[in-house]
Amino acid sequence: MSDSALRVRGLRKQYPKVLAVGGVDLEVPRGEVFGLLGPNGAGKTTTLEMIEGITEKDAGEIEILGLTWERSAREIRASIGVQLQATSLYNKITPREALTLYGSYYPRSRPAEELLDLVQLTEKADAFHITLSGGQQQRLALAMALVNDPELVFLDEPTTGLDPQARRSLWEVVRGMKREGRTIILTTHYMDEAEALCDRLAIMDHGRVLTTGTPAALIQELAVPSVVELTFDGAAPDPGGFAGLIGTGVEARGELWEIPTRDPKSALGGILEAAERGAVPFTQVHIRRATLEDVFLHRTGRSLRD
Amino acid sequence: MLFRQFWMEWKLYTRDRGAMFWTFAFPVLMLLGFGVIFRDSQGPQIRLVRIQPTQAGAFEDGFLKALEEQHLKVEALPPDRAEQEWKEGKVAVLLEGTEPDWRLRVNAYLAPQGMPGMGLVQQAYLVAQARALGQGEPRRIPFTVESPGRVKAPSYAAFLLPGLVGLNLLSMGLFAVGMVNVAYREKGKFRRLAVTPLPKWVFLLAQVLNRFLIAGLATTVLLVAGRYIFGIQNQGSVLAFALVVGLGAAVFMAMGFALSGFAETTEVYGAISNIAFFPLMLLSGVYFTLDAAPKWLQQAVQFFPLAPFLRALRGIFNDGASLLAYGPQMAILAAWGLLAFALALRRFRWT
Repeated sequence: MSDSALRVRGLRKQYPKVLAVGGVDLEVPRGEVFGLLGPNGAGKTTTLEMIEGITEKDAGEIEILGLTWERSAREIRASIGVQLQATSLYNKITPREALTLYGSYYPRSRPAEELLDLVQLTEKADAFHITLSGGQQQRLALAMALVNDPELVFLDEPTTGLDPQARRSLWEVVRGMKREGRTIILTTHYMDEAEALCDRLAIMDHGRVLTTGTPAALIQELAVPSVVELTFDGAAPDPGGFAGLIGTGVEARGELWEIPTRDPKSALGGILEAAERGAVPFTQVHIRRATLEDVFLHRTGRSLRD
Repeated sequence: MLFRQFWMEWKLYTRDRGAMFWTFAFPVLMLLGFGVIFRDSQGPQIRLVRIQPTQAGAFEDGFLKALEEQHLKVEALPPDRAEQEWKEGKVAVLLEGTEPDWRLRVNAYLAPQGMPGMGLVQQAYLVAQARALGQGEPRRIPFTVESPGRVKAPSYAAFLLPGLVGLNLLSMGLFAVGMVNVAYREKGKFRRLAVTPLPKWVFLLAQVLNRFLIAGLATTVLLVAGRYIFGIQNQGSVLAFALVVGLGAAVFMAMGFALSGFAETTEVYGAISNIAFFPLMLLSGVYFTLDAAPKWLQQAVQFFPLAPFLRALRGIFNDGASLLAYGPQMAILAAWGLLAFALALRRFRWT
């Protein structure tokens, strides 16, 4: 038995006009929550769908729980759970029926009651799918991904389009899945989600993996793990002159100046002094730890949200 | 697995009120409506407009009686109204004058009704003259209206019923199979199925079996309605009728699968399927025979799937013909089925 839940080598997908995935390598040990983080169009979903066996790969090797699609497609399907980005169901099917029906496709399945309870849909068990809220539909999709008691679960943007409360309740379900010992591979373009859920991450952009590691390690790798923020009332002015005064880089973003620094405690005095000398009309000062957002910015020069 | 999938398809289908209405209720309503409208007539009557004579004598009364015996819808109008309707082109045949100065005008644009109307008026005039001269009642050749090959005179409802059966099968194939599968593909339902171990053939077979069941039920409902409302029933063998309906359902479903492979979205599929659906519906003789259509069209349409199907089904249902008499029609239908099936195998896509 392989100790890796997933091993991917040199995965490629060329679409007529774009190279969607250009040589991706991944290795995910069993029991880990692994995230693919990147902006829209980074190739996360294409990568996931090639691994799930619904998009044909152009090149590369995929090994799932020690099995390959070429030889053991049925076995793989029976032991993975998949939540697609947009799960389409019949409008007039109830959660209970959907779970029973999809359960019937597998050699081994969990009772619908248990799954409904797990994703807190017991009250809506007999309501038509079309009447469920977005968050309830996502939770049902999650329950459907667990119907065969899978060892490995794929979640494609599980919380996109949900309100903060619904996102948090979904995160709880994902944490529960990890406690049950499942390996989870998810994609997201929310860095807070990646930080909150993932043991390890791969940051993707333009079809390539830029870097892989634990969230903490990725942030630690940054030369400047802290950021001093000066907030303005309205759009931030051009920071060119100020950067000259303090002798480090300053970046204007919206209503903020961001000043990355290695040692915020000693840098702060100099920054405030310089601001006073230059009569910079800032309203607030804030020191924060660097985030995955900064890691992405540092790697690509772009923001995740762009 | 197959049974569970089939049962789920059935349950979901019964929850879809719209589909239920179009498949079960709509054909019955059509049969009721059209069957009643054309219940007693032996084809539509020709309307004759007659200008009210200023004074009418015994001959005019006799002539009018003779006209009404001619299966003509006679309408007497004052001169100005009649003239106005004539000018507006609403009148096919216009009769004016009194004995012996009659004048008959036939609208050149409505010649297909006007000319037979003119002939009927002439006949009535001969009859009226004979009666007026005391020559006694002229003799006429007895006639019956029959469907070829059988003595029983069919009502319009009997003609319409097989047409509606065929139309229902066609729309089921193109919409309940073709459209549904394009929508499943577009909305990613097939992708969700593709990540489960469910063999694809189980899903499709359950769908096809479900549609066969619905086609059978909808046809039965129509037959029952025809039997109890209009007293019409299958003159041929039940087996032959069921075989033709079954083959038709299979062919039209295969056409739905084949066409669904040519459209990425439901919008595109809507356009493609209507291009197939409307000409077939309008030109295959679902509601009326195509006697008035050009000869080449009547012959050409026999090589498309719906017209041969209807010919065979009407032959069996109305004339009690044997299935063997419709070998060529069945062959054309089966050929379309094979073509569609081959296309479906080549073009059908899951993603």
